Amino acid sequence: MKPPAWLRLPAVLLMTAAIAAWAVPGSAAVTTRPAQHPARPAAAAAAACDPTASLRPTGPPQVARGSFMAKIRARGYLIAGVDQSTFHFGYLNPLDGKIEGFDIDMVHAIAKAIFGNPNKVQFKAISDAQRIPEVRSGAVDIVAHTMTINCARLQLVDFSTVYFDAGQRVLVESNSRAKSLADLGGKRVCATAGSTSIANIRAASSHPIPVAVPFWTDCLVLLQQGDVAAISTDDTILDGLAAQDPWTKIVGPRFTSEPYGLAISQQHPDFVRFVNAVLQQLRTNGQWAASYAHWVGTPVPAPPPAHYKA
Amino acid sequence: MGAAVTAVGDPPRPAPDTRPAPGTRPALGQFLRARTTPAKLRLLMVGLVVLCLIWGGLAAWIVSQRASGANNVVGTSEPLSLDGQQIYRALSDADATAASAFLSGGLEPLAARHRYQADIAQAAAHLESATAAAGHSPAARDLAKLSAGLPVYTGEVETARANNRLGLPLGAAYLREASALMRGTLLPAARDVSAQADAQLTAASGQATGLPLALLLLVAAGLLGYVLYRAQRWLFQRTHRRLNPGLVVASVAAVVSLLWLAVAFFVARGDLLEARNHGSAPVAALARADIAALQARADESLTLIDAGGDDAFEADFKTVEHRLGPGPATLLTDAVTAARGSPGAGSASAAATTATAWYAAHRTVRALDDNGKHTQAVRLVTTSGPGHSGTLFTRLDGSLTAAIAADQVVFRTHAVAGRDVFTGLEVGVIVLALIMAAGCFRGLSTRLSEYR
Repeated sequence: MKPPAWLRLPAVLLMTAAIAAWAVPGSAAVTTRPAQHPARPAAAAAAACDPTASLRPTGPPQVARGSFMAKIRARGYLIAGVDQSTFHFGYLNPLDGKIEGFDIDMVHAIAKAIFGNPNKVQFKAISDAQRIPEVRSGAVDIVAHTMTINCARLQLVDFSTVYFDAGQRVLVESNSRAKSLADLGGKRVCATAGSTSIANIRAASSHPIPVAVPFWTDCLVLLQQGDVAAISTDDTILDGLAAQDPWTKIVGPRFTSEPYGLAISQQHPDFVRFVNAVLQQLRTNGQWAASYAHWVGTPVPAPPPAHYKA
Repeated sequence: MGAAVTAVGDPPRPAPDTRPAPGTRPALGQFLRARTTPAKLRLLMVGLVVLCLIWGGLAAWIVSQRASGANNVVGTSEPLSLDGQQIYRALSDADATAASAFLSGGLEPLAARHRYQADIAQAAAHLESATAAAGHSPAARDLAKLSAGLPVYTGEVETARANNRLGLPLGAAYLREASALMRGTLLPAARDVSAQADAQLTAASGQATGLPLALLLLVAAGLLGYVLYRAQRWLFQRTHRRLNPGLVVASVAAVVSLLWLAVAFFVARGDLLEARNHGSAPVAALARADIAALQARADESLTLIDAGGDDAFEADFKTVEHRLGPGPATLLTDAVTAARGSPGAGSASAAATTATAWYAAHRTVRALDDNGKHTQAVRLVTTSGPGHSGTLFTRLDGSLTAAIAADQVVFRTHAVAGRDVFTGLEVGVIVLALIMAAGCFRGLSTRLSEYR
């Protein structure tokens, strides 16, 4: 299902370049909701946008006096907006009632860096559409929610460096003949509201009918009940859905690149730098690889390299 | 009465001379003066017999109207209303129970499973009896919707359970889907059944206690009595015999039937009004409050399950809390007012007090959940203990259910008594009318024979 490890690094580099090229129309597509503010300066900024470049850490993660991290420490816990329905990335495990997954491991690592205790976290389960509003309102300190970094979103929130590389594919029932979105013209295809995936389905040249739901598992319910012909989103999420229903299969190649970042308010650049320092530790001390092996499987590729603003 | 007069002025045999326009008293007077005494006697006899029979028919019809209204109250609309409430209760409780069974995390508690199963069984049983009672009433369509939707709902809950037991997050999605079906389709249909049955109950109760038909009957009785009295006076003047046994029997029968009717109507009306004022009216108000409380309880559980996914359920809780009260023009205060003087009054007041305590406990739950203490919040909702939201809700629901049950007894006792008053009345009125007709015939034919 995954491209072999030796393909991954070149793929990442290629995709990073592709994203930069794709950024302008992409951002236009996402912001075309009946424009209240025809934001010309924003579009100009997006043109110069290098989405995956984040703020450079100032050294190993440290909670400086007066920093945002110090405020979090004073509060006693980190507030993280996470997914509760994406198997293996952020999901409520019904067996123990805890939220678990690859994204959740990242959050625990950040809590450990602030408190010395990975469990000082309040998880707030939010839907895809709530991710940006929750960060911007300050209701959560950070969002770890299979969230693609792109220039449109960078207008609204800051992102950490890339901590996972995903790409959009298609999930169908195992007896379906469809191989990609091209075979699903006029058919109903599911994704969550507010995701990049639903925008990509809407933009597909074969004109599938996009069906938006709050959570990814809702898509699988619709697929099992025959209400939709396919689900199309990041392969990471599709893997989690396919693992819950052996009568489904993931088809076709990745047709987008979805670099995941942790979303943080633009008010807190110090926290972005801190989180990037934590991510850099995870990349180098083997924890990233351990999480990958546990939640996604082997072989484990090299972690996506950190890319900083000049 | 015009019909009766016309009958008198319209003799069974063709009149030899030109008839004046029938149907008016002066015309009748002229007509009678123009005849011989035997002819007049014959005419009077036919007229009285017809009048007695018409009276019997009218009285029997009005009695049957009232009796069928009372029967409808006891036999159809009240059970249907009760079934509708019970269906709503059971389904709403099933929804809340399924939700909180998921909430507890890990293996679902056996008690919750049993409670859910009992709720579904109860809903199905009431659905069946309601469908039988509804016949072709407007509630039948909603009942059909419920019958079709219930298996879909339980199917989704079982799919949710199966996935849950495999440790898959898909289970929660099926539960959300099931709950959306319940709240979007099934519960509104159950609410409609109750509302339609209540409207039917009001109409049937009005039919059984309404005054216009009773007044019509009284007027008819007065006219009949007047005609009988005039006939006997006329006979006395003509024949100088003081008593005519036949007409006396007819008069006694008329008095008996009038007394019976008056007493029956009076007693039944009292019973049925009591059944409504201290029975079905408080029951309906209490049931509305209970339905709202159950909805808020499900909101409380579903907010915790969604774990902050969005605050639609909490917003709904606040709306329902506002509607439920207590406070001016709220469901609980209305129910307390309606239950005043009924056996459920004490429980209804207790429910209003408990509701306030429950809201406070709910705010504690929200504060815990909003501050990252999800587990503690869930414990307050799913376990019992002093000040726990779960305990207080159970007490609130228990008070309302107890008040409903107490007033239900008042309703049944009085409504059944009110209905039973009509037993035999219809047949009795007809038999008495036949006796009256026979008396008139016999009394006048004796006089007629004296002219032969």
